[in-house]
Amino acid sequence: MGHSDGFIIQDVSVAGSTDVNILQRVQATAGAEQEDLYQRIGHLTRTLHDAMRELGYQESLADARDNLPDARDRLAYIARLTGDAAEKVLNSVDHARSVQSDITARAQALRGRWAAVATYTSGSAAAPGAAAERATPAGAALVDETCAFLASLDSQAELTNTILTDIMMAQDFHDLTGQVIRKVVALATDLEEQLVKLLIDATPQEHRPRFDAAKLEGPVVNPENRSDVVTDQAGVDDLLASLGF
Amino acid sequence: MSSDPRFLIVDDFSTMRRIVRNLLKEIGFSNAEEAEDGVVALNLLRSSKFDFVVSDINMPNMDGFALLKSAKADENLKSIPFLMVTAEAKKEDIVNAAQSGASGYIVKPFTKATLEEKVQNILAKQAA
Repeated sequence: MGHSDGFIIQDVSVAGSTDVNILQRVQATAGAEQEDLYQRIGHLTRTLHDAMRELGYQESLADARDNLPDARDRLAYIARLTGDAAEKVLNSVDHARSVQSDITARAQALRGRWAAVATYTSGSAAAPGAAAERATPAGAALVDETCAFLASLDSQAELTNTILTDIMMAQDFHDLTGQVIRKVVALATDLEEQLVKLLIDATPQEHRPRFDAAKLEGPVVNPENRSDVVTDQAGVDDLLASLGF
Repeated sequence: MSSDPRFLIVDDFSTMRRIVRNLLKEIGFSNAEEAEDGVVALNLLRSSKFDFVVSDINMPNMDGFALLKSAKADENLKSIPFLMVTAEAKKEDIVNAAQSGASGYIVKPFTKATLEEKVQNILAKQAA
């Protein structure tokens, strides 16, 4: 017999029962079905509850919970390193600008003096007759080339500054990626909180798993919170020295 | 407004503060201070005289919108122009900034030319 109303009524009609009997049988069937439904819901609830408890025992879920803070720290580590890199680039850009500015200033000072020499060697100075005697053709050409080079330094300095500005502007990636990382970290934090609540709800205290944290971790991303790591090469050297190496 | 306007650069990322400061210097404005969030910025605005604010929006403690609204609600600060420089590119944010009294809005990443154009336009309007 099927479970739909249509099948039940058709079955009763074939048996030739009275309306009351039909109603009673329908009600009885409905009651049995309702009871069956409750039993099935109860079974599902128990299965779900057991599954939740089982999940609490599974390392995969607990690992995910434990790994979230680590993932968060690693993201913060990336943000810090990229930030440091961006700062280094900006420092270098500032330094390069300073060097460039100094070169430009010195070139401008020299340009005036070399212009006087160029005038002298071309024979248009106060003593025009002496110019040809004092400047060889090669010397005069060298003076002209030097003057032309010094004159071109301004435009080259401008080009260099434009390139340095481009390099500086490219460091805005840190701001943009940093904001994305911040949002992912917030998401991970929220996820971790939800996961912890789920595990607390589903796992008896005595069955909460313990995890072995002693494994290779790669770069230490939060050394300030750790007493079992060194923070720099000096720490490594001091440790080795204390051990007699 | 002074011929050498004093800028306040507000951004929680030091990299971006340096970039904006250097760009302003290249444009010709070397008089600038920095703040890492809205709270620090508001304190600076109330304790010292500034002519122009270049502010990020998404910041901890007090975001750029709150800073903008606080400044515009303050009789002593409301005339200071705000240029919002932010990664927030949603239309509602841009509208919100304009309605809150911002004089300009730049979306990151941006170029030196964009910053120069916005700053000069705002300064020209202030002077008019």
